[in-house]
Amino acid sequence: MILLPCPWCGPRNVSEFRYVGEPRRRPDVATTTPQQWRAYLYNHTNAAGWVREQWFHRTGCRQYFGAERHTITDEVRRTWRPEQAPAGAEPLLGVTDRAATTEAGPDAGGDVL
Amino acid sequence: MGVGGAHDGSRNGHRPTARYSAFALFTRGLRKSPWPRAWRAHDLRPSYDVVIVGGGVHGLATAYYLAANHGITDVAVLDKGYIGSGGSGRNTAIVRSNYLTPEGVRFYDRSVKLYERLSADLNFNVMFSQRGHLTLAHNDSSLRTMRWRAEVNKLEGVDSEVISPEDIKRLVPYMDTSASARYPILGALHHPPGGTIRHDAVVWGYARGADAHGVHIHQGTEVTGIQVARDRVTAVRTTRGDIATPVVVNCTAGWSTLISDMVGVRTPVATFPLQAAVTEPVKPFLDTVVVSGSLHVYVSQTDRGELVFGASVDPFTSYSMRGSLEFIEELAGHVLALMPSLSKVRLLRQWAGLCDMTPDYSPIMGPTPVEGFYLDVGWGTYGFKAGPVSGESMAELIATTKTPEIIATFDLARFADGRLVGEKGAASVGH
Amino acid sequence: MSLTAVAAPMRLDAQPGEVIERGRPLSFRWNGAPRVGFAGDTIASALAASGVRVFSRSFKYHRPRGLLSASYHDPGCMLQVDDEPNVRGAHRRLRDGMDVASQNTWPSLRFDVRAANQLVGRFIGAGFYYKTFMKPQVLLPAYQSVLKRFSAGGRTSPDDPRDYYDKRYAHPDVVVAGAGPAGITAALAAAESGAQVLLVEEEHDLGGHLRWGGTEDLARLHQLRDLIAAQPAIEVMTNSVVVGRYDGNWLAIVQRELPHACERLVKARAKVLVVAAGLIERPYVFQGNDVPGVMLSTAVRRLINLHAVRPGHRAVVLSANPEGDAAAEDLARIGVEVRRVLDVRRGEDLVAARGGGGVRSVQCHDGARIDCDLVVTAAGWTAPTSLLNMAGDKPVYVAEAARFLPSRLPDDVLPTGGIAGTGDTDALIAHARATGAEAARRAAGRGEAVRIPALPAGRHPEHFIGRTHGMVDFSEDVSSKDLLSAAREGYDSVELVKRYTTVTMGPVQGKLETVNAVAVLSRATGRTIGETGTTVWRPPYAPVTLGALAGRILEPVRYSPMQRWHEAHGATPLVAGAWIRPDRYGDPAQEVRNVRERVGIIDVTPLGKLDLRGPDVPRLLNLLYVNKWSKLDVGRVRYGVMCAEDGVVLDDGVTGRLGEDRYLMSTTSSGAATVWEWVEGWLQTERPDWQVHVIPMTTGYASMNVAGPRSRELLQRVTEGVDLDPEAFPYMHVREGRVAGVDDCFMWRIGFTGELSYEIHAPAMYGLHVWETLLDVGDDLGIKPFGVEAQRIMRLEKGHAIVGQDTDGLTQAFGAGIDWAIKLDKDDFAGKPELVWQRDRDDYFVLVGLQPEDGSVVPPEASQIVEGRNVIVGRVTSSRMSPTLGRSICLGFVAPHLRAAGTRVTVQLPDGRRITARVTEQHAHVDPEGVRMRG
Repeated sequence: MILLPCPWCGPRNVSEFRYVGEPRRRPDVATTTPQQWRAYLYNHTNAAGWVREQWFHRTGCRQYFGAERHTITDEVRRTWRPEQAPAGAEPLLGVTDRAATTEAGPDAGGDVL
Repeated sequence: MGVGGAHDGSRNGHRPTARYSAFALFTRGLRKSPWPRAWRAHDLRPSYDVVIVGGGVHGLATAYYLAANHGITDVAVLDKGYIGSGGSGRNTAIVRSNYLTPEGVRFYDRSVKLYERLSADLNFNVMFSQRGHLTLAHNDSSLRTMRWRAEVNKLEGVDSEVISPEDIKRLVPYMDTSASARYPILGALHHPPGGTIRHDAVVWGYARGADAHGVHIHQGTEVTGIQVARDRVTAVRTTRGDIATPVVVNCTAGWSTLISDMVGVRTPVATFPLQAAVTEPVKPFLDTVVVSGSLHVYVSQTDRGELVFGASVDPFTSYSMRGSLEFIEELAGHVLALMPSLSKVRLLRQWAGLCDMTPDYSPIMGPTPVEGFYLDVGWGTYGFKAGPVSGESMAELIATTKTPEIIATFDLARFADGRLVGEKGAASVGH
Repeated sequence: MSLTAVAAPMRLDAQPGEVIERGRPLSFRWNGAPRVGFAGDTIASALAASGVRVFSRSFKYHRPRGLLSASYHDPGCMLQVDDEPNVRGAHRRLRDGMDVASQNTWPSLRFDVRAANQLVGRFIGAGFYYKTFMKPQVLLPAYQSVLKRFSAGGRTSPDDPRDYYDKRYAHPDVVVAGAGPAGITAALAAAESGAQVLLVEEEHDLGGHLRWGGTEDLARLHQLRDLIAAQPAIEVMTNSVVVGRYDGNWLAIVQRELPHACERLVKARAKVLVVAAGLIERPYVFQGNDVPGVMLSTAVRRLINLHAVRPGHRAVVLSANPEGDAAAEDLARIGVEVRRVLDVRRGEDLVAARGGGGVRSVQCHDGARIDCDLVVTAAGWTAPTSLLNMAGDKPVYVAEAARFLPSRLPDDVLPTGGIAGTGDTDALIAHARATGAEAARRAAGRGEAVRIPALPAGRHPEHFIGRTHGMVDFSEDVSSKDLLSAAREGYDSVELVKRYTTVTMGPVQGKLETVNAVAVLSRATGRTIGETGTTVWRPPYAPVTLGALAGRILEPVRYSPMQRWHEAHGATPLVAGAWIRPDRYGDPAQEVRNVRERVGIIDVTPLGKLDLRGPDVPRLLNLLYVNKWSKLDVGRVRYGVMCAEDGVVLDDGVTGRLGEDRYLMSTTSSGAATVWEWVEGWLQTERPDWQVHVIPMTTGYASMNVAGPRSRELLQRVTEGVDLDPEAFPYMHVREGRVAGVDDCFMWRIGFTGELSYEIHAPAMYGLHVWETLLDVGDDLGIKPFGVEAQRIMRLEKGHAIVGQDTDGLTQAFGAGIDWAIKLDKDDFAGKPELVWQRDRDDYFVLVGLQPEDGSVVPPEASQIVEGRNVIVGRVTSSRMSPTLGRSICLGFVAPHLRAAGTRVTVQLPDGRRITARVTEQHAHVDPEGVRMRG
């Protein structure tokens, strides 16, 4: 059970959090092309190593935050609030993943199509 | 213009394999004479017509069908570990075709048909037991999805039907089908042609078959780079040397994006661990594969009596295959919710594999903007059952350079075009 | 001769360290026959004392098996005890009245028909089934039912009750896994340095190998036990195992055989884990090594010293180490004739053991043949590095020591004792003390590091496999010959040979067989043991029951404040996610008629509700909904649809403006959690500068819908502070006031049922009161409750789509038939680009209303709409018999070329029939203009 250090609550069991995903810049809605928009929706870097990603403290403070994690060892070396992103990090974006609508458990009323 | 050109039989000749049979077991037993190697070890050649990255069921099946169906035998299959060390060796060995979309049903049904004859085709017993497959529905929405799948299956000629809790209880006496369960079972999708298989045997069978045709299988050979010149593949770099080749097929899972990155092809794949577990043997009592989508759990029992369990992918991406305690806790809870009398049965072992998840729970197969670089990736939690049809289709694609109809909807371009395949309802925790 | 002597011919006189209590005899049954033992006996020791030599038959060849290690992982000793399968008979303590039976024997243990397998052994080596049983395919099920009979497992029954198991959390500073002398010493040192310690021991008592040692060992044992007992900072768990070390030193510990529960799972977040798991004795591979009467030196010492059991009468001992020598001494001490000691260190060896149901003689390296009934081997030790592996270690093989040693561990895991190396007692104690102290220091996170002296690896002969082939995996019946054949066939890496032969995959989990298997493989391939490596050790280290992993049944249920009223009035429960809701109270068609003719009331508390406050709420609504929200006056309500960024319909609901900066957003009940996270995601990450405050109110309000032509009249009777006149309170408006005497209620007029209706939201604690008041006051108006099913019928009559049922994971907004709501002239909203592109396409399925031509046929939901033989061009998503129209009505998807009103489509029913249905003008089947609800 990985311990994830929430920037507000401190280290908590990873089961308290929802993984949101890789941060991506939301394209300008007025000028975006289908390729750009769908790259935003679907592309992943999926690196095997240190990645920056976002999490949501679901059964805790209900805040979105960023984390730097090594995807092979699952070591987490830093986390940050949205306004404290490290230099060069994409801004946090809690909205591209449809994970909120994926893998619905019994609580969501059944299968999600 | 396909791959292979003139087939030079002397270069990669077909070698007679010792045939497996009960009679052969008897005579060799009498004579105490050992069996020959099922597949040989070779030196790495400086070039091959086709290099397949990934020695699991997809890579080996592709190699086998390239040779057996198209006469292309100058093929190398590379795996950084031992063959079948990835998803092929870690899955819970469920085969079925009760998918949601017509394209999906046709695709997986072709695989089931190939599996049905695979032992005879490969002369290797892969122990495909078509014992039936049940997907339980615990609420209206789920029952509707089961009905949807059943109807699509039937229209495609695949045997599936929705059955009642009473029918379920007859098939699985250990199941709690009472109304007092916390999430009572309302019905199930019953799919008689589905079942279980000895997953390692499929890998070994294809390896032996491909080897007999002259394919080179290179274990312990890791790809470290792929050379591209003017948008075509020219060579592969490995830990054992470089290989010149015009065709590279990405048949990896878990690390597929690392390979695709080598040629700059971006795929919408995120890698998640998928865990599984097995118990000690108990006297066999479960004849069918049982899956519950709502409870995210599936159960089957081997002929030796071990119960094999799986669930959905881990909730966050990772390349770790260490496994977690919370997984087996939740799993055990759901198993006992379905079959409460099993609380004294002991879990013996847990493990994990890596699943490449795509946005539409369907694979990515076909050519890419880099000529000669082909993808057979994005296999999520449903890759093993598609081994034979994928191998057959990819072999056809490589040999003829035309994408077979059966995999046309799985192209990489669909994401940029917004043409996602709608398999989500059938694939999640269906395995 | 005393009765006890007759009943227990192998029982010895009192031994100094014995754990049996001779004053407490116990009786039990063994394969139906009565037996006796003592408290403190294991099942196996009691049986051995009574003369039993054969406990089981092996998995494949059905060879008789006796005791091998006389410990938890003894492969020959898995027994059925009452209704519990696979009990480890050499570990489980005897209880009075136990009904014990052997597993995997037919018809009996003595005469097992399937032992015929032994005769055909050379034909059915490991993996033989891959080479046969292929044809004919149709016989495969028959082959499999034959294979199933060979399952070695114990029995379960569908009527077995689900026993009680519970769980516990612990947060010790230091967990010490293993309470042999090293573990105890480390625990004491850690506690003395200020740590809270949890000491976990697999066996029933502390002390490890000291328990079956000589006088000195016993004295030390008592001393150590006293020290532990006197140390309050150490919590001791016996008959417990650390079965897993997961990320972050999250440890799974299983406590067995508690008085009130079968097993308990303890989850400990340890700051430091000390692994003092000791060493496990390894069998020697030679012909006949699995014949009953061949056992390990530790088995002999346990039987004699702990349980006062004579293991045999005439023994031959193979010894490669001091423990083997000590076993020979113990045997001599109790009067066993030790006919020969073969000393490996002098080049002597055991070649084969012979005998059928029990060992009768051995053959030595020099050709000598010795009659005996007991063969004892002390060939070497295996380090049970499982927990270390789980922590990321890849142990290194040291040939001089003939064993693996830990090499690279994270800072929070420390090995000590036999697993870390060898040495004399002083060296081991010093190492353990230093380890314990350093563990405490690391847990505290401060202080100067304690230097842990290195432990030498020691020397031990490499004596894994003998001169003849023998068993390597006793529980899987895999011999060294099998491993050699497999390697020759190409299954020559450790993982391949494991999967092909199933070696190490049995209930013993590799503890007794891994190193021997690796030794055989290394010989077969010409690689060293170090180069060959071992298979990956996976959790759990010891088997854990599903019950312990699951724990207590804790499945929360959500229900509204009115649920008990529903139950008391005969409501059929509907499981909707975690909620239980009333599906119907009687006949839903009747409930519908009552709403349309009089007035009905439904509990809709699970409806998602978000209280939104702040000046930027309209911007948020504009961003998340597809329609426009800038001009929503106070007191107005608007319906909205939300899409995700891929344009797929996410949720729908109404939002009302209660005040200047006060809004209430409703969502579907299944979407409540998702939408709340969606809203928060946008506000926190994309629009952090917006001033919007979100409060989830789904369970803060009890919600009920009063619907029907008499609903206004009813509400006039119970409402204060709200003018219910239709001009004062029109359709799609919201008002706050007092209902049934309860302040801070709000109600809005919306139209999901198609009737005049008011959805009332009252503070939850008054929900039941408001509900009962409405029913009471409305009695003369004919008010009746209606359930979810009746509501589903009415909303379908009204043509209202349900997100997730009439839309799916790929339905983008234009496909859902809500074109009127989608305002593409807005600057931005979630999913807008996809909807702009969708509008210009015509290749997507569209949601339409459908009516079967034969109004008496109700097509089951998910029936497919087809063209030709089997081309799918749509499906039915919602379908009911309409009590209002007296005919069937549906919603469904159709291909774009079929969407025009009046089009006839073919519906394939599940029973095989095909019927025709007509596409309707709009989704609503009843009162499409909405006259009734706007009244």
